Amino acid sequence: MNAAKPIRTRLALLASLSVLAAAPAMAENLVFTSWGGSTQQAQQKNWAQPFSAASGIAVAMDGPTDYGKFKAMVESGNVTWDVVDVEGDFAYRAARDGLLEPLDQSKLKGIDPRFISANAVGSFYYSFVLGYNKQSVKGSAPASWSDLFDLKRYPGKRTLYKWSAPGVLELALLADGVPANKLYPLDIDRAFKKLDTIKSQIVWWTGGAQSQQLLASGEASIGMFWNGRINALQHSGAPVGMSWKQNLTAADMLVIPKGSKNKAAAMQFLAYATSAEAQAKFATETGYAPVNLQSKTKMTPAAVKTLPDQFTASQINLDMRYWAEHRDEIAKRWYAWQTQ
Amino acid sequence: MPTALSSVAVPARRRFRLSAQTRGIKLMLPVLLLLLVFFLVPVLTLLLRSIMEPTPGLQNYAELLGSQTYVRVFFNTFMVAGVVTLITLLVGFPTAWLLAILPPRWSRLLFAVLLLSMWTNLLARTYAWMVLLQQTGLVNRVLLGLGVIDQPLTLVNNLIGVTIGMTYIMLPFLVLPLHATLRAIDPSTLRAAAVCGASRWQSLRLVLLPLALPGIASGALMVFVMSLGYYVTPALLGGTSYMMLAELIAQLVQSLLNWGLAGAAAFVLLVVTLGLYAVQLRYLGAGRSGMGGR
Repeated sequence: MNAAKPIRTRLALLASLSVLAAAPAMAENLVFTSWGGSTQQAQQKNWAQPFSAASGIAVAMDGPTDYGKFKAMVESGNVTWDVVDVEGDFAYRAARDGLLEPLDQSKLKGIDPRFISANAVGSFYYSFVLGYNKQSVKGSAPASWSDLFDLKRYPGKRTLYKWSAPGVLELALLADGVPANKLYPLDIDRAFKKLDTIKSQIVWWTGGAQSQQLLASGEASIGMFWNGRINALQHSGAPVGMSWKQNLTAADMLVIPKGSKNKAAAMQFLAYATSAEAQAKFATETGYAPVNLQSKTKMTPAAVKTLPDQFTASQINLDMRYWAEHRDEIAKRWYAWQTQ
Repeated sequence: MPTALSSVAVPARRRFRLSAQTRGIKLMLPVLLLLLVFFLVPVLTLLLRSIMEPTPGLQNYAELLGSQTYVRVFFNTFMVAGVVTLITLLVGFPTAWLLAILPPRWSRLLFAVLLLSMWTNLLARTYAWMVLLQQTGLVNRVLLGLGVIDQPLTLVNNLIGVTIGMTYIMLPFLVLPLHATLRAIDPSTLRAAAVCGASRWQSLRLVLLPLALPGIASGALMVFVMSLGYYVTPALLGGTSYMMLAELIAQLVQSLLNWGLAGAAAFVLLVVTLGLYAVQLRYLGAGRSGMGGR
């Protein structure tokens, strides 16, 4: 053991030296941070790898996104993330708080105007949809958010997203009969009153995998889900269905943290990741919609059919600007209500 | 397991008390330095944030202690940690005793089972409980099949789920130190008690339990303190009505970016925990257990 040790140390030293030597060979590199899981794998495969091949810029993966870490990096000036996938409301909030670099708009072409701002560009967009387990639901399939609150027709547990975030309050108000164009500013009292009617039957999910487990096992018969998660369950043969009526859309955004050491490379990466081609490939794999308006022409008709943007007629956009403004006060009410 | 080691090391420490103490301090320097840089400094920064953000003052503490939500979450945290500690003790004491008296072959096997579960990924274990305990899970299906119940029991997303999941995770942290203490008890004391006419119950209550008390106390304290800061298991197995402080702090830090309030919450939890530790030291620590020390 002991005799082997110096040799091993020397080998390790040599190895680290060779890494140092190799680093300058690659012109530039950058770190891309996202939420992990199948989504980030798809981002790596469809964006990062072809981008590196074309540009010679290496893209290292990190994750999951953590806003606490994000803020700490920018504040300390030691920014190790160059491109970060964040939620829409955080993008607005971070821009307001001066945590983001401005983007070079001339490099971003064909982006859906809903998903681009001075400091952020869409990553992909998704919908919260009504999902149900076909085996535990009796009679006609549930179709709208009001069915989620109908304990008589659809008894059993329902599963909703646990944390204070866009989605749950909106669907409660929609189920209570608030018209889509009158959702904002949110009538929070009314939303909680509606949620009170099913509170004892709610099982909260904290992440996508848990939501899938709850639904596929029948632990929850109905609930709100990210469309990509139901999509994946259906691909794996689970007896689940979804309704797109009043699906609630939001986009993840790509941002460059203030003080990123590889701004130029990061901007090149953003241009590539949001290009029609890269967005089309990512959407085909995940079932999330492209933010580039030209992407659909590059996808097969079958793949296009399953995307959230096929259901624009019944679609409601979650207002991320509203949430960026009010997230703190809503969170207070939210946790007070949850822990009651 | 520091507690297990220290209780084993007692006789040696007594014999070489003086020299060991001076040597001990020097040997401890690196650890003390490490604690200073990586524990004390961050804790102080945290405290500083809690009184400086967003504006200097005590408003974070006022908000924390003035809000029903946070007070309730504090109460939940201590209540859940207390329940978990109690159940862990009830299960852990017989287990540790069994480990101490079983023939080596069997106790090694039991140890292996205990440690193996400890080495498994926490998230995987928690998910496993979720799958076992849910309404359509194995436990409910077996009970339904046997006709013991006719409606599935609600075993997750409530206090029961958190308690089961956390007790299981905490068990080794109690059993290991307790086992060391029990092993050190001279079996002849129990024989002597029996010879003097003590019943089984009396020997347990008057001889074994007092002798095991240092192990019970240190194990229970460790379980209690670890439970106070638990995050993954309550988040996955508990409903929101038993939300624990760590979950709320994580939300404040990672999502709401309210570091001032998060710092205040963490600091209050730390102070209360240290206070409990001081109480334990005072009443169950050095004096009562006769474990050397000052």
